[in-house]
Amino acid sequence: MAPRLAKKVLLIGWDAADWKLINPLLDSGKMPFLESVVSGGVMGNLTTLRPILSPLLWNSISTGKRADKHGILDFFEPDPHIGGIRPVSSTSRKVKAIWNILTQRGFHTHVVGWFAGHPAEPINGVCVSPLYPIPLSASPTPWPLPEGSVHPASLRETFAALRVHPAELTAEELLPFVPRAAEVDQKNDRALESLAKVLAECCSIHNAATWILENREWDFLAVFYNAIDHFCHRFMPYYPPAMPGVSERDFEIYKDVVPSAYRLQDLLLGRLLALAGPDTTVMIVSDHGFHSDDLRPRNIVKEPAGNTAWHRPIGIVCLKGPGIRKDERVYGTTLLDIAPTLLTLFGLPVGQDMDGRLMTQALENPVQPDSIPSWEDEPGECGMHPAALRVDPAAAQAVLQQFVALGYMEPPGEDRDRAVASVLREHKYNLARVYLESLRPAEALPLLEQLSRDNPDQLRFALELARCYLALGRLNDAREVLLARAEQGSQPWADWLLGVTYSEQGDNEMAMPHLLQAEKANPRLPDLHLRIAATYRQMSRLTDARRAYQRALELDGDNPTAFVGLAMISLAERRYREAAEQALVAVGLDHYMPLAHYLLGVALARLRQFDRSVIAFETALSILPGYLKAHRWLATIHSRPGGDPIKAAAHRSAAEELRRQRLAQGVR
Amino acid sequence: MMQMLAAGGLPVLHDGLRAADEDNPRGYFEWERIRSLPRDPGCIAEAEGKAVKVISPLLRFLPADRNYKVVFLRRPLAEVAASQSAMIARRKTTAPPGDRNAIVASLGAHLNEVTAWLTGQAHLEVCWVDHASLMIDARRQARMIADFLAGASAAMLDVDAMAKQVVPSLHRQRSG
Repeated sequence: MAPRLAKKVLLIGWDAADWKLINPLLDSGKMPFLESVVSGGVMGNLTTLRPILSPLLWNSISTGKRADKHGILDFFEPDPHIGGIRPVSSTSRKVKAIWNILTQRGFHTHVVGWFAGHPAEPINGVCVSPLYPIPLSASPTPWPLPEGSVHPASLRETFAALRVHPAELTAEELLPFVPRAAEVDQKNDRALESLAKVLAECCSIHNAATWILENREWDFLAVFYNAIDHFCHRFMPYYPPAMPGVSERDFEIYKDVVPSAYRLQDLLLGRLLALAGPDTTVMIVSDHGFHSDDLRPRNIVKEPAGNTAWHRPIGIVCLKGPGIRKDERVYGTTLLDIAPTLLTLFGLPVGQDMDGRLMTQALENPVQPDSIPSWEDEPGECGMHPAALRVDPAAAQAVLQQFVALGYMEPPGEDRDRAVASVLREHKYNLARVYLESLRPAEALPLLEQLSRDNPDQLRFALELARCYLALGRLNDAREVLLARAEQGSQPWADWLLGVTYSEQGDNEMAMPHLLQAEKANPRLPDLHLRIAATYRQMSRLTDARRAYQRALELDGDNPTAFVGLAMISLAERRYREAAEQALVAVGLDHYMPLAHYLLGVALARLRQFDRSVIAFETALSILPGYLKAHRWLATIHSRPGGDPIKAAAHRSAAEELRRQRLAQGVR
Repeated sequence: MMQMLAAGGLPVLHDGLRAADEDNPRGYFEWERIRSLPRDPGCIAEAEGKAVKVISPLLRFLPADRNYKVVFLRRPLAEVAASQSAMIARRKTTAPPGDRNAIVASLGAHLNEVTAWLTGQAHLEVCWVDHASLMIDARRQARMIADFLAGASAAMLDVDAMAKQVVPSLHRQRSG
């Protein structure tokens, strides 16, 4: 049985927090409390899942499962009682969250504000739903607390009094964010109002969390803050350098809001750390990052959740506590790994049906986590809502439709019907994207074919269907879908995917015009430049390929794939020192890239730096044990005079075994 | 059930707007305004001291500042689905997509949810009536209902008159 490493765990969610913004603040000493966690523990990137939608992501964090398993598929769901739609609710989550498992095992467990957490669940502790801080009235008196927003209900009055209403905030509280607030024309500019609302909700959530820490016995507290995400969506265009279209005056007024939001979050973290005490294990995570540089979107597509274009696919994770390494980086963590890691910290087994794994790199001593087939099958009270209340919103909607058709209920109204249809469509679309992301295109296909057939006007469904065909190897079907769209002028996406399709068919000459057409339509897409570069490389047009990689780097200077591509070109041109430098930059940006380590190994071997080269190849193999070429290189290097013949034989044998396996699988 | 309650002597709130038809040859005891209960919960004031037909999805919109006695008639869901499908076909309205089994499953989930919800509602007192039992022993069920409603009306309901309203021949949508 794995040992219990953590006495208590404080899990803090910062929606949309991003190292790109945090690092300069850490370096200048402006986030001292986060610095104490980072320097006393481990930190790293947290790779998100697609689609990058917070309700799906935060529930994957809390369950260790993808959205097809946990069932939270959008921001909204059909209201099973009245028709129309409502915010997605905790009764729609189909599986246990970490707090349910801990409740089941008797831990004192508390949750505040988690996404899709309404109504509050009857766990073994306090549960506060995300509806709790919402200012439903214009003034704080009266300000009724939404039904079901606090568990246990006996604490309703206590928690109602902890809330902060936007109208209660004074100028002194807003000035740190907007020092020149007095210059804002509040009749025509509602930014201060938005700011006050986000700030008040953040304070209400924080007050609930600190009350629990001060007044309740606890083993686990999860608290979710959405302030960074909300501040970023409203004020990121003003973050220096201002985006095109932002006036000089507005830039000067609002440029400090985003950094101030991070500093506020750090101050709140300081209070939580002080209350939690030094023996608490602290984990801070975000579900995704937020573009703050040249990749800030200039044109938001008008479609549901279109503003997720702001979301960067890399979030943050840091972890500090007993048994956790200190001042180290961890690599290759995805947000599916959080729940399995938390279970291991409590000495509990990981469910084999969880999609994530333990963050082994974070631990001082290796731990082999125990596992069970599934926590879902474990009997016992877990603090989920009763099964009868966990309704499938789509099924409930069917019942309402049935009663409306029978004449027993009024139709909810055309607007509500449209809203329901739209939400159910988004559920289907998001589920298909989850299947595609998790390499299950066959399961995505019927959903996307139906969506595409029923909504011929929506380009996104056709493009996703084409991607699905590509994943299934049905290249002609993909091309047929895309050619029709390209003819309708749906660049750049249709041309981009057409280029990919032709390239997959081995016809780079046909692929390139489409890729270049896509580039012409939108030259600000780093991934498109990477595709163009890779295609040029396959065509042995290395100068063109290098230019395309450099173009990608002009847009996203931290793109490891671009550095990997440049390293490949440099190797092909026998410029080994340059290749080594480029590969080194790539592994620095993303350690979890076996190809980058491999290229570094090759470049160093060519430079006759064999010892360093061996380290690079071995690192590649630690990430990807079946890396045949790395085994071959190591066999060659160890076979040199004065080398290690035993290791050489082992790597040669491993390479031969891998070759045999691939032949057996029909892979060349 | 509404026929039973009326025959037993309980005042029934209905508007007579929905005429008897092939689905319900003895007529409907319906009150049109109850359909708007979600947006107009105050309308229930008109039903004070009377019986009114309320479908299960609307129960949660009954204002909690009043007390209610709910006679909840349960019937095999396959029969309910078959009956509803036939009515929808005759009404020429649009049924939700999905086959009969899907509708039965959805109704089952709905019934579970309503049942669970009802157990926690202090303002709703529930008498569960099983439709099959009603067909087999109408008098016994009528007695149970009358006992449950005792005090809700001025006089005890006439159990014999209630039982006579049960006509098994109208029970046409049998399952299986």
